[in-house]
Amino acid sequence: MSELLGNLALGFQVAANPWNILFCLLGALVGTLVGVLPGIGTVATIAMLLPITFGLPPVGALIMLAGIYYGAQYGGSTTSVLVNIPGEATSVITCLDGHQMARQGRAGPALAIAAIGSFFAGCVATVLVAALGAPLTSIALLFGPAEYFSLMCLGLIFAVVLAKGSVLKAVAMVLTGLLLSMVGSDLETGAGRMTFDVAELADGIGFANVAMGVFGFAEIIRNLELPTDSRDIVKAKITGLMPTRKDLIDSAGAIARGTIMGSILGILPGGGAVIASFAAYTFEKKVSKTPEMFGRGIIQGVAAPESANNAAAQTSFIPLLTLGIPPNAVMALMVGAMTIHGIVPGPQVMTKQPELFWGMIASMWIGNLMLVIINLPLVGVWVSLLRVPYRLLYPSIIVFCCIGIYSINNSPTDVVIAAVFGVIGYWLVKHDFEPAPLLLGFVLGPLMEENLRRAMLIARGDATVFFTRPISAVLLTIAILLLVVAALPKMRRRRDEVFVE
Amino acid sequence: MSDGASPTGKQQGFGFSIRNPRDFWGGLVLIALAIFAIWASRDLPGQRGFAFGPGTAPRLFATALAGLGAAVALVGLVTDGPPIERYRVRGPAMIVISIVAFALMVRPLGLIPATFLTFMISILGSTEMRWVEGTIGAVVMTIGCWLLFVVLLNLPFQLCPRFF
Repeated sequence: MSELLGNLALGFQVAANPWNILFCLLGALVGTLVGVLPGIGTVATIAMLLPITFGLPPVGALIMLAGIYYGAQYGGSTTSVLVNIPGEATSVITCLDGHQMARQGRAGPALAIAAIGSFFAGCVATVLVAALGAPLTSIALLFGPAEYFSLMCLGLIFAVVLAKGSVLKAVAMVLTGLLLSMVGSDLETGAGRMTFDVAELADGIGFANVAMGVFGFAEIIRNLELPTDSRDIVKAKITGLMPTRKDLIDSAGAIARGTIMGSILGILPGGGAVIASFAAYTFEKKVSKTPEMFGRGIIQGVAAPESANNAAAQTSFIPLLTLGIPPNAVMALMVGAMTIHGIVPGPQVMTKQPELFWGMIASMWIGNLMLVIINLPLVGVWVSLLRVPYRLLYPSIIVFCCIGIYSINNSPTDVVIAAVFGVIGYWLVKHDFEPAPLLLGFVLGPLMEENLRRAMLIARGDATVFFTRPISAVLLTIAILLLVVAALPKMRRRRDEVFVE
Repeated sequence: MSDGASPTGKQQGFGFSIRNPRDFWGGLVLIALAIFAIWASRDLPGQRGFAFGPGTAPRLFATALAGLGAAVALVGLVTDGPPIERYRVRGPAMIVISIVAFALMVRPLGLIPATFLTFMISILGSTEMRWVEGTIGAVVMTIGCWLLFVVLLNLPFQLCPRFF
């Protein structure tokens, strides 16, 4: 316990550095700014803003990225409540009751409860991350190549099961991502693989190019096709910002339950914030004495999912920081960012760079505080941002992304590659393929191949090693069971119900 | 706006009906991609003894992808699904052109002209574009990007054409 406190103190020392606080604030601010724009999800926001962190020192950059992440999520909730447009998937469920509250003139309390719930969830999750970090890291040290490979398989399967749409197609996307990650020099021999003698491909396809193309550009191309008049903006002025005492008492239980649910689901690979918000809402409706009020502007319907998605957003850092395995697409982006700064995510981060590890954890808490500080007074600003017409918004995003990609390596080829991935992303959407598993496969590809090769070499070419080593066998068994269960017709129908929104 | 495909969602091909064209054609493209990858990694040495060669993993994953692609296409034959939405040309084309134009312009012309022109090309992608408003937006964005990337973040960009 004292060790935990000591570590947290070290973290706060790092995070409380004025520059780092500034980065955190800036990140949360830009994150919210981009997050409130409809049609730009968390992953796209981070992908777009990634380049602006490249010039910073590693600790500052990661703190800023964490700020961007929370900001983007929060921005999504703001638009859900005010204009009934979820900025992204995690805040879809907030629309149901949040927007109803706004229509009854209670947008203020809805936004405030979202902020308070998120802050509370953030506080709990921060402590949880700090407490679980050390024990999980010691488990990670027991892992050999075979275990790592199996764990990554499990993580990918989780992502597949929880992605919407066909399981088969999601697995196909993972494999496509793995295959794409193999373009470039071979890790062991240095032989160029599938590079067609293009010099720019010798280092592999840049991760930022894929992310921006498949998420950023493809989303713009897609949005241009949608009708523009489908927006339902609340013109009424927001009055009475603070929730009443009754609101607070009503939502206290919901916040607590949402936090617990979010924390647990966030740790699971692939689980993440989306599932957490859905699960918390459903659960809250089940335990409520007045379930018929849900969907008509009940404050618990905002408090529970908002607490849950924030808690999950935070605990999803645990697998990344301790095992080096990104549990979802957002964390995959974080791996990309860390690698660019020369940090290899994994158990060694905690021992070799304690100030980075604990600094980031402390900055999570500060990030949450920043969100409360900026979100409440700036609600009016965010709403006016929504009045910028899309015909001016998307060219700005394109220009921003182009400069961002170019700035990574000063390479025009990278920009062209991102454009190609934009077209690929557009095609994927047309054929109902999910791009998130592709990105996850792409990021995990090199790690997976390396561990697979090592494990096979150590086992002298015996592929049964993955089932004879106990930890590895358990992980793979869970993965296979999950896949089978998800493919069963009954479960498929229930999954479809969950993703109807 | 969103018309352009047959109302029943069925297309005729190979003498029988494709019930889920999105899956069917998607699966076929994945198979093609897998075959392409196997072809592209044909020269890479494979397994030597216990050790994987550089070509082992690409071929392994490509083969698996081909299998899954076939499964997806097969599912597309036996289950019903929505028709493929019509592909639009203007939006995607103008956006790709603007991005590629940026890539071509940024070295010879420098950041400022490239940013401005990329913005101007990309506004053509929307059917609602307006020249005056778009030009103002381009100027504002160019100044904004210069402030952010050059002044604030200090990134080493060439700003103007060399002959200035």
